[in-house]
Amino acid sequence: MKFHWFAEATYGDLPKDVSSVSVDIPRDVLDPYTVGQHYKMFTRLMQQADALGWDGLAVNEHHQTAFAMTPSPNLLAATLADTTQNAAILIIGDSLALYNPPIRVAEEMAYIDCVSEGRVIAGFVFGTPPDTAFAYGIPPAEIRDRFHEARQLITRAWTEPEPFAFNGKYNKLRYVNAVPRPIQGRPPIWVPGTGSVETWDLVLQEDYCYGYLSFLGLDNARPIVKGFWDRVDELGAEANPNRMAFTQLICVADSDAEAEAKYAEAVNYFFTMQKGQPHFGTPPGYTSIATQREQLRRAKGVSPEVRAKLARGELSFWDYDDLGFIIAGTPEKVRQRVRDLAVELRVGQLITCMHIGNLPEEVAAENNHLFGTQVAPHLRDVWSEYEDRWTPQVSQQRVAAHAPRADLSPTSA
Amino acid sequence: MSTVDVPNVGTFTVNVVTTGSGDPLVFLHGYERHPGEAAFLTELGKSYSVVAPEQPGYGTSEGFENLTDIYDLVLFYRKFIETLGGPVVLVGHSSGGMIAGEIAAFFPHLVKKLVLVDSFGVWIDDQPAPQDPFGAPKDVQAALWADPSAKPDPEPTIFVEDPNDPFGAMFFQAQNLGTATKFLWPIADRGLARRLPYVDAPTLVVNGAKDGVVPVAQAEEIARLVPTAELEIIDGAGHYPMFEQPEQFLTVVKNFLAK
Repeated sequence: MKFHWFAEATYGDLPKDVSSVSVDIPRDVLDPYTVGQHYKMFTRLMQQADALGWDGLAVNEHHQTAFAMTPSPNLLAATLADTTQNAAILIIGDSLALYNPPIRVAEEMAYIDCVSEGRVIAGFVFGTPPDTAFAYGIPPAEIRDRFHEARQLITRAWTEPEPFAFNGKYNKLRYVNAVPRPIQGRPPIWVPGTGSVETWDLVLQEDYCYGYLSFLGLDNARPIVKGFWDRVDELGAEANPNRMAFTQLICVADSDAEAEAKYAEAVNYFFTMQKGQPHFGTPPGYTSIATQREQLRRAKGVSPEVRAKLARGELSFWDYDDLGFIIAGTPEKVRQRVRDLAVELRVGQLITCMHIGNLPEEVAAENNHLFGTQVAPHLRDVWSEYEDRWTPQVSQQRVAAHAPRADLSPTSA
Repeated sequence: MSTVDVPNVGTFTVNVVTTGSGDPLVFLHGYERHPGEAAFLTELGKSYSVVAPEQPGYGTSEGFENLTDIYDLVLFYRKFIETLGGPVVLVGHSSGGMIAGEIAAFFPHLVKKLVLVDSFGVWIDDQPAPQDPFGAPKDVQAALWADPSAKPDPEPTIFVEDPNDPFGAMFFQAQNLGTATKFLWPIADRGLARRLPYVDAPTLVVNGAKDGVVPVAQAEEIARLVPTAELEIIDGAGHYPMFEQPEQFLTVVKNFLAK
């Protein structure tokens, strides 16, 4: 299996009583200098992860939120492309409906692929409701349509041998001729979703990697991931675990007591500071009626009672762990739980969230070190018999040549 | 159901409520829902043959996927009115008013008289509407009604409960509002202000004094832009004057139509 380093770029100094951190966040809450220091910290942590053998470094896009201060993942990715050597640059992803025209995505991802010498994974995302409908004002009824048109335009811009004209519904371009083009031609494409059948069919039809990017762990994911693999089976596609990505919050320490002491506050911060008005999450027209009906039918992974406790910050550190929202503890324990998770969900691409909430940088760096040297090397055998055409060849080769191995001393690196 | 083919746009099959007899009057409902056989339509039916289509994408009406922009919808209504033998009296409420204004500007020969009730479609930069029609539900309710505690319960609707579908009403509302976002989100301005001066039909602009999603200032702007318009503000009403002040609403509309 493969590991992709990730952190929501969360502002670490939010006042406890802040009313909202998304869309209508009060303007005086974020200090621009401190924000800049956050970006530098995330870059350092990802550079460390690259040296420690992570297969990918993941960056995402959100708008008008202190929970994830990444308006353009491409900016962070450009820094990483130039200052890391091995790992894939996993842009997960650009919110295609928000780029006007979307050839901007084709160009910038190509730039990053060129600078990284062919290490880009192109993530295409619909974008969250607060981002797309509220912060960027796209009519929810149009978001999916715009996404698909952009996806087709970008793919053609990467692959067509000659300049072409594109007369779309939302994009009119007489001369499409992207410069630069990716080294990889068409980089691997990942599309995250929240369990809609339409998205499953899309990724299987186009051979994209599907990401179920929840922060609520195994129990919550089980019904949705099962639905995905059932659909793979129904459509006669290969049940290759590498076509699926999943996110998991990770807290490694030398002992359980140390894990609690070091991570408890940050985990609580992560889950309780995602404040926003509920209607920003559910604009009408964003989710099709068919998918809403499917969501109602589907078994619920996490009960409403637990969700309410979560939002009120009433869960203890070990409650989070029991529920699977985090995997915390010693390297040996984390190793086993990650293996169980990967095997049960049939996930080949694990997006590990190594910095959480307001975690101090040195704790995140230690998390990286322990996971990179004492967890990941022991899990390389999981799903290794399957071909992986969803990560770049270059990063696969370089990581294989440089990543720490299980037989290395646990304290080296 | 009524099926209309619009060449090069698509086929629309829409649910239509009809009532009364006389010259044709077309009513275009607002952004939340079709009101069904509401009392004010029955009352107008005493003098007119009222035809009230459920707009494409609302309820069981089909054809929403054919719409690239508002012009496609205007073309659909051109065909729809032509099949009625137009010209017609055209009454539009809320988002239906926005569409009615477009129809009257583009196809003046199809509109004998125009009534725009709490109509979306224009935006005034220095007097922004106080409430987003897609905001937090309790804020929206407070903005839609002059007196939210006295609103009709249930609100007049074309929706019919299906005992086998306990979530039907929820999905009906979700689908309707999703459809509404096409032309109202994030700001209900698709350029109508540039076209209103081309409306020829005698026009009545009606607005609830307490409408928080379409404030009186927007009604005044519409009345200023339409050369033939007169304006009536209804006290004690929000976005639904036909339900909050039905008598006063019908009086101003009937007086205008009788002229």
